Amino acid sequence: MTRSRIALGWFTLHFFLIIAICSRQLWWLIANGLTIIPFSGAEVSAQPAKDISTTAGLRITRARPAKDVLFAYLHSAGIEGAYGFFAPNVPENFKLAFEFRNADGSLEYDLPNVESRAAGLRLGSLLDNIGRSDSEQYRRILIRMLTSAAWKDHPGAISAHAVFGKLKLPNPLEYERGVSPAYEFIAAYDFEQSADPNAK
Amino acid sequence: MNSSRLTILNNLPIRTQSSIKQLPQRLREWLFLSSSDQWLSILRIGLSLQLILYTFSLRTDWSSLLAGTGRGLGSRDLAEALLSLESPIIPRLGWLVVAAKQLGLSEATVLNLSWYCLTLVSVFLLIGLFSRPMAIASWFLHLGSVKSGGPATYGVDALTTIGLFYLMLSPLPDQLSLDYLWRKKLCNPQLLGFWRRVLQLHLCLIYFFSGLTKALGNDWWNGINLWRALTRPPFDLISADILVRFKHFLPITGVAVWLLEIGYPFLIWHRRLRRPWLIAILLMHAGVGIAMGMYLFASVMIVLNLAAFGPGILWHRTQAPDDGSSFSGSMIPSPNN
Repeated sequence: MTRSRIALGWFTLHFFLIIAICSRQLWWLIANGLTIIPFSGAEVSAQPAKDISTTAGLRITRARPAKDVLFAYLHSAGIEGAYGFFAPNVPENFKLAFEFRNADGSLEYDLPNVESRAAGLRLGSLLDNIGRSDSEQYRRILIRMLTSAAWKDHPGAISAHAVFGKLKLPNPLEYERGVSPAYEFIAAYDFEQSADPNAK
Repeated sequence: MNSSRLTILNNLPIRTQSSIKQLPQRLREWLFLSSSDQWLSILRIGLSLQLILYTFSLRTDWSSLLAGTGRGLGSRDLAEALLSLESPIIPRLGWLVVAAKQLGLSEATVLNLSWYCLTLVSVFLLIGLFSRPMAIASWFLHLGSVKSGGPATYGVDALTTIGLFYLMLSPLPDQLSLDYLWRKKLCNPQLLGFWRRVLQLHLCLIYFFSGLTKALGNDWWNGINLWRALTRPPFDLISADILVRFKHFLPITGVAVWLLEIGYPFLIWHRRLRRPWLIAILLMHAGVGIAMGMYLFASVMIVLNLAAFGPGILWHRTQAPDDGSSFSGSMIPSPNN
């Protein structure tokens, strides 16, 4: 009896959290005008944008340990985020390209690369993450990280120029008319070789 | 005539009252309905195969994705620093790296070891040897690798974590495991039923919210999102030249996808529709896996669906009163349950 009561208590809390997180995410999408529902909720939408996490952003004003335990639980159970796979819309296709400049002035071009298809999907996810981020600092850090990884294949390079953009793919009708994918520039970053080889 | 009407009217609130009083008890019975352990065998075997696929698919990039700043494609340091902002007690590979440093092991060695350990515990889990400890170890190592991978993660990781979390808490071992050979003790069928319900309900919520969010996206109604998903690198396995020939089917298919998802939590319990609905969902995931190359995502969804609803819907059990699949549109367990 006690065991089943504990199970019921856990069940109630667990599913309350799942529903709360999913509902909040849905509300956030609606409030930000990302859905077909015509809604202008600037005041509502401003709040989740402050969240560092992509997770629920459940605001807990109680003691920090309680928050730590709750967030650890959410991550441990895999319920920290909502389930909008390719929803409400399929994200843009983000691209990153590098231009490495050697000491003699010659240029080498490269793209972020991985060995396997499985890692390729993760790289795509990472680029999506960079593209969706509102934080310029976060975006810069991640692009610097990717540039640093690509730099290993260009040991002679003294500087790197990373260009981040998105590819706008044509819809079926445009494709039939022969419209090509359009590249849209988002940002560019320059990195210099530092004395510390790990801190380019 | 009048008196009989009065009787009905008088009876109605009493029945309603009675139903309301019985609701918690019925809910409890429904949640703890006895179940065989077939579903648990499917979950254990399916998730262990999923983990083996996961580790082998990332073998060549494992260290690059999980290395510290400046040593690979990703930055474990950054991912873990961001994770610590949420909570410092979320499992991560950094704990192992720090602990191993005391023993003089390098980061690269620990990352390699973590890959071998995850593969090994997945094999143990597959054959059902030390099922519970292996379920916990695989959950921890997988979660650690996912969390330390930071922004280079996607839906499949959360879904695998969900499956492993429930597997770890479920009453292991099941009858198909090696552990059962010497333990020979069946788990409490009500507890088995409870954990199966948890998985079933979680899947219902996943599909409902995923479908609802898609339905709220304009381009899921006109087929553009489906087109984009199929032509967007790295999912563009089918040539756009071929796809464009089926452009008139894209809106129908797009709507069908979110209708299937939204309908799942309601129709998966329906006696006549649950079988075709489950088959349609399984085919949808198989289609996503084949057409978009999202094999891991497809396989984890198929495993979770088969474990949650397979026994009793796709095939009939040979033991124990099953299986908690029927719902019959009410909270009352059906006779088949």
